Amino acid sequence: MIRLTAQWLRRLLWMATGAIVLWAFATVAVRELRALLSRDTRTELVVMHWSGEGGQEEDQIVEDALRTFERDHPTLRVRRINPGDAGSFYTKLQTMMASGDPPDVFYVGSERIPAFVSLGLLAPLDDALAEDARAKVADQIELDGFYRATVEAFQFDGNATGRGPLYGIPKDFTTVGFYWNKDLFARAGLAPPSADWTWDEFIADARAIGKLPGCTGAEFVTWPAMVRAYLMSEGVDVKGESFDDLRTSDPRVVAALDRLRSWRHDESGALTSGKSKIATGSSVFLGGKVGLAGPFGRWVVPSYRKIPSAADGGFSWDFAALPRGSAQSNIVLTVSWSISRQSKHPREAWQLVRFLSGEKNQRALATLGLAIPTIRAAAQSTAFDDPAQEPANDRAFLDAAERARVVDWPSDPQFESLLGSRLDQALKTGDLSLTEAIANFERDWKAQRESPLQNGATSAMPWTPLAWIGVALVVVVASLAFVRLRRGNLSLAHRREERIGFLLASPWIVGFALFMLFPIAMSLALAFARWKGVSPLNEADFVGIANFEQLLTLDHRFRASLSVTAYYALLAVPFGQVLALLAALLMNAKVRGIHLFRAAWYLPSVLAGVGVAVLWRWIFDSDGGLLNSALAPLLAPIGLAPPEWFGRDASLFGAPAFALMSLWFMGGTMIVFLAGLQQIPVELYEASAIDGASKRRQFWSVTLPMLSPIILFNVIMAIIASFQVFTQAFVMTGGEPGDLTRFYVLYLYNQGFEYYEMGYASAMAWLLLLIVLSLTVVVMRTSNRWVHTDGAKA
Amino acid sequence: MATVHLRAVSKSYASGASGTTRAVESVDLAIADGEFVVLVGPSGCGKSTTLRMIAGLEDVSGGTISIGECVVNDVAPKDRDIAMVFQNYALYPHLNVRQNLSFGLERRRAFKSCWRGLFDSAYRSKRAGERAAITARVEAAARTLGIEQLLHRQPRELSGGQRQRVAVGRALVRDPAVFLFDEPLSNLDALLRTEMRTELRILHRRLRATMVYVTHDQEEAMSLADRIVVMKDGVVQQVGSPAEIYGRPSNRFVAGFIGTPPMNMIDGTITLDADSTLTFRSACCTLTLPPGRFDLDGLSRGHERPVTLGIRPERLSPAVGESNVSAHANVTGRVVAVERYGASADVVLSASGIRLIARASQECTTQIREGENATMTVDVNAAHLFDSHTGCALARAIRAPNR
Repeated sequence: MIRLTAQWLRRLLWMATGAIVLWAFATVAVRELRALLSRDTRTELVVMHWSGEGGQEEDQIVEDALRTFERDHPTLRVRRINPGDAGSFYTKLQTMMASGDPPDVFYVGSERIPAFVSLGLLAPLDDALAEDARAKVADQIELDGFYRATVEAFQFDGNATGRGPLYGIPKDFTTVGFYWNKDLFARAGLAPPSADWTWDEFIADARAIGKLPGCTGAEFVTWPAMVRAYLMSEGVDVKGESFDDLRTSDPRVVAALDRLRSWRHDESGALTSGKSKIATGSSVFLGGKVGLAGPFGRWVVPSYRKIPSAADGGFSWDFAALPRGSAQSNIVLTVSWSISRQSKHPREAWQLVRFLSGEKNQRALATLGLAIPTIRAAAQSTAFDDPAQEPANDRAFLDAAERARVVDWPSDPQFESLLGSRLDQALKTGDLSLTEAIANFERDWKAQRESPLQNGATSAMPWTPLAWIGVALVVVVASLAFVRLRRGNLSLAHRREERIGFLLASPWIVGFALFMLFPIAMSLALAFARWKGVSPLNEADFVGIANFEQLLTLDHRFRASLSVTAYYALLAVPFGQVLALLAALLMNAKVRGIHLFRAAWYLPSVLAGVGVAVLWRWIFDSDGGLLNSALAPLLAPIGLAPPEWFGRDASLFGAPAFALMSLWFMGGTMIVFLAGLQQIPVELYEASAIDGASKRRQFWSVTLPMLSPIILFNVIMAIIASFQVFTQAFVMTGGEPGDLTRFYVLYLYNQGFEYYEMGYASAMAWLLLLIVLSLTVVVMRTSNRWVHTDGAKA
Repeated sequence: MATVHLRAVSKSYASGASGTTRAVESVDLAIADGEFVVLVGPSGCGKSTTLRMIAGLEDVSGGTISIGECVVNDVAPKDRDIAMVFQNYALYPHLNVRQNLSFGLERRRAFKSCWRGLFDSAYRSKRAGERAAITARVEAAARTLGIEQLLHRQPRELSGGQRQRVAVGRALVRDPAVFLFDEPLSNLDALLRTEMRTELRILHRRLRATMVYVTHDQEEAMSLADRIVVMKDGVVQQVGSPAEIYGRPSNRFVAGFIGTPPMNMIDGTITLDADSTLTFRSACCTLTLPPGRFDLDGLSRGHERPVTLGIRPERLSPAVGESNVSAHANVTGRVVAVERYGASADVVLSASGIRLIARASQECTTQIREGENATMTVDVNAAHLFDSHTGCALARAIRAPNR
């Protein structure tokens, strides 16, 4: 009876498997057939956008707009892609660009325009606009009705923003300023910020609020764009006419920056100590203990609208435009609908852009509260300036827009991140003086400008000979392998077996060759090339060893990333091993329910990735984070405060924080140790017990030597893993502040996907391989002194 | 040197959800000073557990164990003054032979402190003396076992026999009161095993130390032991010298377990006939047994009693010349196989479905052919009888010779 059921179960399983496979094939077949039969002759346009802060609602608004467009244009079909937040959007866009299949219409943030235009990704729109004007189309875009600065943001002539062809129709924008807590202002007896309040008034208000118990005056984010907005309000900027003409050493710039530094570092309570990405200002403000938070744009409004009223334990708040210094100014941050230069349907794409940028759609998006319509008429309507919704002072955004300027960036995207990282070392962490930080910035930017990569004579990558060499190599290796296999004196039966073996392994062999070997070979070739990663490969330039030269001699950020990673490895590897071993010893105890404990200790390693990183971001939060809340009362008696892990103390505590977090993932190591412990022959413990060894002596004389091969394995794996830290850093800090948590692989990612230097990133990857390889070799070489491989056999 | 006394020692393990498994039941054993005692039995009989309880590696569930005068039930292994040799040698694989030998002595050093030596010259000289003593003892032990030239080697560089010597040396160097051996030879090949067996015997004679030795190999037990303890299912079956165990097995199990090939067992009945002759009847044979050797517990004349007759293979011999044969000491059967060992040969017979083995000298078996019938003479004076139900030997109490 039992046998029968087992057999039936097996049959049932087979049938179920068969059904699933059939179903999978059938659905694909049906889909393809349907597509074939439906004879959809409509032209397909692909639209890509993000909906990070706007969430589901923004997604729905775009969806609705596109369906309306399809209804009005029966010959067009629109496919929509929304990868989520802006970060994923740009990564996706890059891969689509590189594969030569970009979306036709997509969002572009104004800060990316110089880079994208230089990379030749965007189609200029002036001709289409002129054409529309001639043809007098009904929904013609009247740029005069737009806020001037938002249009300028998308003009770029190859050197300067605000001139030259137009590369996008701005869909919405924001100006910046401070969100202020009305209740705290009232408690401190302060008057509301006036329309043209000054930085002196700003800091006076912040100081007054900072004196309230448990409160901080202001959160001032030092993102590069905001630092420049601040400088502009003093009538200065980091650059003169061009980005070769840096003005960061201008005494007025230094003075302004030093005032900002001083507010943060020389006073307590006025400014928060500076958070990294860990707690963007928005969440700091939500706690109700910060008087002012900014400079932020409009994008925080949806989350601030969720703040309950004072009666429900919240507070009321409003917006004030950026204070004035010697000048009254503001900046616009804006996003456009742009068209890919590679679009196969530029005419239809333009129709879509015209529709999407129209006043009706702008009004629809404005209801989100997330941004300001770029068309004046829409901006001044109640769709944006909604008196029923906070903030009351919507007008401040619009008034600021009249005098706002574009924050321009050079076509090299590293400028912005370099400026931010370098200044943060003075403004946020304070481990460098302002002059040192500025000197470093100028040095690095100069190195970047003068790099042999930017200026060296290059030739096109010789892909054809390389391909032939590759093919020749494959042929040689394959024939060598074949000859070797033939030479073996094998019987016919063995040969047949071998053939079947290779046949069965062939899916893997083919897959490995295609998806591993080929990309590996490509990355090796690209390590000697300059390739932007957004254009087809034939646009790559051969640069010889310039990538490595730049890395090893000029790139200070590379050195920083290497030292952060090494610091981390020095902590994470030994501590991780020791703790995992201790845990394994505990888990090896013969106690009732030990299996539950083992599962519990292993569980964290199952939960990995972004989710865990987000959780740890909260744990390490220096204001009310779990860890610091626990540490504060412990450290208080000895007169210490817990570290600001990713803030002021990042140079000392940034990497250790990640090392601490890495203990979360020690379950895997622990399990391997546990398996090793259980393999140690129990007789050795018995023999040593009879020989008179204490438990501690047994650990040193039996457990450790017997475990040494396992330790070697775990140490090597840990070293490799420690050089591959990415997700945590990417999610938790993004490398900030001041490159102090920019791990090797994170910097590699930055180069490849944010600065569009794929060749450089490939060179970094190969260098990483060499580093890890040599470390492994060193460990292996020393291992015969302390590893006893014959333990288990004896 | 010490005696070892086991008094009603038992061991039980918690097993499953309900109750316990008794591995050793109420073992009483007195081991004299300098005696070589071998615990033997099939696997799972509790012999190793008994040894490990003496070593202190297992807790004692009941009874007491004393070494010398002292009850050691709650004494840690290292304080029992014992040394143990394990089946798989349990050498420390990361230490060389010298370090393996000295490991136990190092643990017992009195002057270990490094830093005290820095200031205290008296301490320093004591420490040096202690070290020299250890070296001397290690080298003496190595000499005894003929492994002086191996002292610098790692265990992985040694052959099985050499490892075994080192394992013995590790015990030897400690000069313990009691040596414990847990199947020390079973990982060696047959030839080496015999060789090491002899050496252990010689070693014992030299040291005159108390040794307790566990094996499942009865031959090993016979050749090594002063006294053998046969165990089965946690119960001691018989304790005695090898000759006693072999010659007068106390029950059917002991009889079958000791000796190769094993004793032939024939189930049948015994009757005391009217003329006072004892007759054993079975399917394969009818034998007349000599009176007076068996304790038949008042078997009345004319009555049958079911018994098992045991006869060792060497007590079955090919009948020489048919005329010479008494019908009541013979068994006839078909020769299934003849296994010739040169000097001797084993003849396997199948007599009415009962398989019998006879061991005889080569010359006596030249006439015997496989597949043919053969007649064997049973040495009825060497027959054993066992109760069919209890398996107990039905032998008269041992009489001293010449009485």
